[in-house]
Amino acid sequence: MIYLDNFRSTMVAPEVWDAMHTVAATDYAVPAAFTQCGTEAAELIERAQARLASAIGATPGEIVFTGSGTESINIAVLGTVRAQTDNAPEVVTSEIEHPATLAVCKALEKQGCKAHYLRVDAEGRYDLDQLASVINEHTAMVSLMAVNHMIGTVEPIAEAGEIVAHASARIGRKIPYHIDFASALQTQRLGVDTVKADLVSFSSNKVHGPKGVGALYVRKGTGTRPISFGAESYSVLAPGTPNTMGIAGFDKATELLYAAFDEDVARMRALRDHLANGIIERIPHILLNGPDGEGRSASHLCYSFLFIEGEAIMMFLDMEGIIVDTGSACAAATLKPNYVLMAIGRNHEQAHGSIRFTLSRYTTQADIDTTLEKLVPIVERLRAQSTIKPTAH
Amino acid sequence: MSIKYTAKVIEHFKNPHNIGTIEHADACATEGSPACGDEITVYLKIDPATDRIEDVKFQSYGCASNIATGSIITDLAKGKTLDEAEAITWKQAADELGGLPPVKMHCSVLAVDGLRSAIRQYKKEHKGIDYDTTLDVKTVTDELRHVLWPPIGADIITLKLVKYVGIDQGAVTVEISINADEKYLDPTIEEIIEHVSKIRGVKSVNVENV
Repeated sequence: MIYLDNFRSTMVAPEVWDAMHTVAATDYAVPAAFTQCGTEAAELIERAQARLASAIGATPGEIVFTGSGTESINIAVLGTVRAQTDNAPEVVTSEIEHPATLAVCKALEKQGCKAHYLRVDAEGRYDLDQLASVINEHTAMVSLMAVNHMIGTVEPIAEAGEIVAHASARIGRKIPYHIDFASALQTQRLGVDTVKADLVSFSSNKVHGPKGVGALYVRKGTGTRPISFGAESYSVLAPGTPNTMGIAGFDKATELLYAAFDEDVARMRALRDHLANGIIERIPHILLNGPDGEGRSASHLCYSFLFIEGEAIMMFLDMEGIIVDTGSACAAATLKPNYVLMAIGRNHEQAHGSIRFTLSRYTTQADIDTTLEKLVPIVERLRAQSTIKPTAH
Repeated sequence: MSIKYTAKVIEHFKNPHNIGTIEHADACATEGSPACGDEITVYLKIDPATDRIEDVKFQSYGCASNIATGSIITDLAKGKTLDEAEAITWKQAADELGGLPPVKMHCSVLAVDGLRSAIRQYKKEHKGIDYDTTLDVKTVTDELRHVLWPPIGADIITLKLVKYVGIDQGAVTVEISINADEKYLDPTIEEIIEHVSKIRGVKSVNVENV
C-alpha cells in the first residue's frame, strides 16, 4: 500500500509500537504514590510531558495528554469559553478550521455564544484585518490553526498572536489564543512564546503515534476549566485513568519526530515537489489548491483535476493500492463539496475534481513514481468518459 | 457506518459497458449538471421499423455510482423498444447492481432521467409525441419524485417531506419540513431547485423549510 493520506492518519512507527507493547505487557500500572510501579507510570507521563514541552518551549506541567486532537480542541475551546464571566461571550475562529473546531463553535452558538468566522484569501490565508476588527470586549477566545488540513496553507499564527496580544492590551484583559497544531506538527516547528499561544492542540496519530491520544498545551494561568470529570490522576483537565500505553507511544513518536526533523521535512518537501512536477508535466487542466512553495506544508499537495470527479479518481487509485483523499461532494457523507475549497473560491465543479496527496517521512521516491505512473492513465481514462471536455483555446 | 459499493457496482465502474458516444445518434440527452456534481449524456440509435434501441452509449461526469448506473441502464435499454426502455425505473437499475448505498441512490435517478430524456427527445422528433407539460402542482410534484432524501434513498414526496407546492405566475414555492440541523438539508434544497427549474414555464423556485 502506498499511503498518501497522512494528514488523516499515519502508520504507527515500529519503535512506537515497541514502546507501547512494553507498557501494555510489562509497565501497565497507573500513576500512584509510594509504589515502584505506580511511580514509574507517573514518571512515564512526566517524561512525555517534558519532551513535548521542551520541543515547543513550554514547561512540563503545561502539557496535558488527552484522548485525541478533537478532545484537546473541545477542552481548549469549551473549557476556556466556560471560564469567562461575560454574559454574551464571543469566539473568533475561521471558516476553514478543522471540523472539530467548527463543531465546537456551532455547539457554543446554540448555547447563545456568538462566533466570528474569519474569511480567507484565495490561498487560504486568514484575513488578519478582519481578526483585528472582530475582537472586542466580549471576545472569550480566539481559535485558529497552524496548517490547514485540506489545502496545506501555513497560516500566519505568529502575526495573529500579535493581533490578539494587542487587542488584549487594548481591552485590558488577556484573551486566550488557541492554536490547532494537529496538521502542523509533522512539518512545522513551534515556540509557544514566539506565536503568543495560550493553548495548543496536538494529535499523536498525525506523527506516527497511536490513535486515541492527543495533547493540549495550556499556558500557566489560563483559566481553562475541565469539561469532563473524574479521578484527577495527574491533571484536572484529563480525569480518569491515563492512557499510559498511548502516552508512551506518543512520547516515542515525538522523540522520533525531532530526531531528524529538518532532514525529514526536506526529504518530504523534495518528494512532494517531485510529485507536483510530475503532475504539472503530465496532466493538463489542473488547479493547485492552496499556496505554492514555502507557504505550504512540506508534505502536502492538493490538485483539482478538471472535468472529472474525485471519488472516481480516489477509487481507481485505491484499486492500485494508492490511498489519497478528495474534497468531492460525492465522497462526503454530507454530499457537500469540501468547505475549505469553497472558502478559497473554488466552484462545485473544481472542488469535485480535487485530490489531496499527503506524504510522511516513510514515503519513498518509488511510491511517488508509482503514484504518477498510475494517476496519469486514470485521469486520461476518466476524462475520455466524461461529458465535460476542455474548451478549445 | 461503513458505506461501500457492491461488487457489481465496482465491476461496472471499472469496466463500464456502452461507454462513449454514437456518431449521428438519433437522440442525445444530458441530465444533471457539473455544478451539481454529476452529469450524464445518453446517445441512442433507434431502428425506425421496430422502434427498438439498436445501440445506446453514455458519457459520465461523476462518481463510481454515476458511472455504474450509466453502464447498467444502457445494458437494460439495449434491444428494448422505446416504450419498454422508458419504463425502466431507477429502483430496477439499482437492484440490477445489487443495490446502492441510500446516499448514492440519486445517481440511479439521474441515469434513468438521462435515458428517458433521450427516448422522449426521439419520440417528440420522430413521432410527434408532445411531452411539454403545463406548469401545475401535479407537474411539480411529479418532478419532486426525482429528488431523493439521501439517508433513506426514497423520494421526498413518498416520504412526505414536501408540505406544500404553490405556483404563482411561474414562481414556484416548495415548502419542505426537514430538521434544520440535518446535514442533507442544503444539498436537498439545491436538488429541488435544479429539478423544478427545468420544468417549462418556471421563472423562479423558492424552497422554504417550515
